[in-house]
Amino acid sequence: MTDVTLTINGEERSASVPPETSLLRLLRDEFYLTGSKLGCDVGDCGACTVIVDGLPVNACLMLAGQVDGRDVVTIEGLATLEDLHPIQKAFEEFASLQCGFCGPGVIIAAKGLLDRNPDPTKEEIKDALSGNLCRCTGYTKMIEAVQDAARILRGEKEAA
Amino acid sequence: MTDDVKVADKTDSLTDLKETDEDLRLPSVVEPAHFPVETIDTEARHQTPAVGQRATRPDGRLHGLGQTKYIDDITFPNMLFAKMKRAGISSALIKSIDTSEAEAMPGVAAVLTGREIPVNSYGPSYQDQPVLADERVFHAGDPVAAVAAVTEQIAEEACERIKVEYEPLEPVYDPVEAMKDEIRVHPPHSNIYATKRIKKGDLEKGFAEADHIFEGVYSTQMIEHVPLEPHASIAQWDPNGRVTLWSSLGRITLGRADIARTLDMPINKIRIVGTIVGGNFGGKNEITTEPALALLSRKTGRPVKMVYTREEEFIASTTRHPFIMEYKTGVTKDGMITARKVRLVLDGGAYCSWSETTLGKACILSAGPYNIENLLAEAYCMYTNKTMAGAMRGFGAPQVCFAYESQMDEIAHKLGIDPLELRMKNAFHEGSASPTGQVLQSVVVKDSLEKAAERFGWKEDGQ
Ligand code: FES
Ligand code: FES
Repeated sequence: MTDVTLTINGEERSASVPPETSLLRLLRDEFYLTGSKLGCDVGDCGACTVIVDGLPVNACLMLAGQVDGRDVVTIEGLATLEDLHPIQKAFEEFASLQCGFCGPGVIIAAKGLLDRNPDPTKEEIKDALSGNLCRCTGYTKMIEAVQDAARILRGEKEAA
Repeated sequence: MTDDVKVADKTDSLTDLKETDEDLRLPSVVEPAHFPVETIDTEARHQTPAVGQRATRPDGRLHGLGQTKYIDDITFPNMLFAKMKRAGISSALIKSIDTSEAEAMPGVAAVLTGREIPVNSYGPSYQDQPVLADERVFHAGDPVAAVAAVTEQIAEEACERIKVEYEPLEPVYDPVEAMKDEIRVHPPHSNIYATKRIKKGDLEKGFAEADHIFEGVYSTQMIEHVPLEPHASIAQWDPNGRVTLWSSLGRITLGRADIARTLDMPINKIRIVGTIVGGNFGGKNEITTEPALALLSRKTGRPVKMVYTREEEFIASTTRHPFIMEYKTGVTKDGMITARKVRLVLDGGAYCSWSETTLGKACILSAGPYNIENLLAEAYCMYTNKTMAGAMRGFGAPQVCFAYESQMDEIAHKLGIDPLELRMKNAFHEGSASPTGQVLQSVVVKDSLEKAAERFGWKEDGQ
């Protein structure tokens, strides 16, 4: 068994799991944080994207043991009880998601981008989302939503 | 194949079920209330006020929060995880299945084989697919046994320890080759399991009137739906003898009847909870693992979950039919189509699934949205030893569209007519009759083509 202690969405959590456990399984099966999805388990689809120490990663490709002592942000860590995160709000407003299965991963990847680059070009957004597959939407509305959320986060636009 | 018997069983049991239903009815029923029914006769192309309005999806918020519960996000206390052993051979007789080593593994709760399934066949139109292959394997993705264990890993390892002895048979993969029936996928049945023929006008006369004849063969490949959420279900058999299934199935009512049939039990003992589906595209329109999970739950008294791996999505779920399409079209020198002959061969893979529906729609649409007085369209659906093809967005419409539009381009090129003009000359107009004689209303093909050409600058492009 591997013992891990990590910070998830600002809270310190510990677990003891078999050494082959991925970060994704750790989040989903140990902590019931099921927002991160399993779409392929081999790093192809991005449905499992979470932020580790500020960078978006595929949680299915990282072992639980590798995140010991690190900081993880999942989709569950974005909203508060009072308010949605501006990216989540924009995704809702632009109807950027259809079945929604890719959504948490896409939103986290977008957050990873905006945290580092508050004013990305359309190309930079496409690039940041290139590891996230969506079978339903065609991505257009996601890109529009990320642009809109960026404007709000930069304070150029009032949140709706 | 023993399937004949099973198909007959189905008719019996459905009648039985209806009779049970009849017994439960009230002897007399109050007159239903009559409401004045107003026929709404909307003007053609009349837009509702909803068009152009901005709307948000009611489920969008939960999706974005990561709070939508898909099947794999649902857990029950004491839940087991199932895996299936896949044949890995596309055509073979099953000589024996030895599950003893798997069963003895710590953590394994139950193993299930096809022989334990009351009616081991299912399918939305023909019941030709085994839940777990028992006597014969029809394609490499066929499951031959299912294991329920305390973890997915143990279930997977147990599958590896199941020993299956096969007698390999000659497979057939090419649908045109399969038409010869030299190798039969489901003997004694022919590989041609569904056909359709549409005839209109006088084909010979039509070709005689033509100045040019164009002939071409077009083909499309097999396509997997790749929903982001893989197929997933949970079964819970309760001590009262009822089973509840949480499933990513899109058509729960149809699935319920199919599950009742395979389990040979009254439909009212089966409850299906359809959850939010993470992408369907036609690929989640029939049952897959549900009956096996129900029986594993029955054997263990515990809830059992199974989620397809991405690999299983490709090898064991339905796909889009590959088509081979022969087109022969007669055209006058100024580009009017006088006759068209179409022959479609659909590669249905190992089982029928939604092939019949696909075949019908493809055949009806195969001539394209054009006024063609003299037409013959013939379509055949073939069994091959491959992953089955089923429903996928458009039920065959995209495949034939690829063929007839490719040929339209070839005709335009050869005759030196603008491709848009060629389509405008032949396209359906208000009141045109479809190949099956349906008089069409609200026909906007020409308007749409013109608008599209205008928007993306077809003329300026130098076309
Ligand atoms: S599940 Fe991690 S990339 Fe697909
Ligand atoms: S919304 Fe369905 S996969 Fe993206």
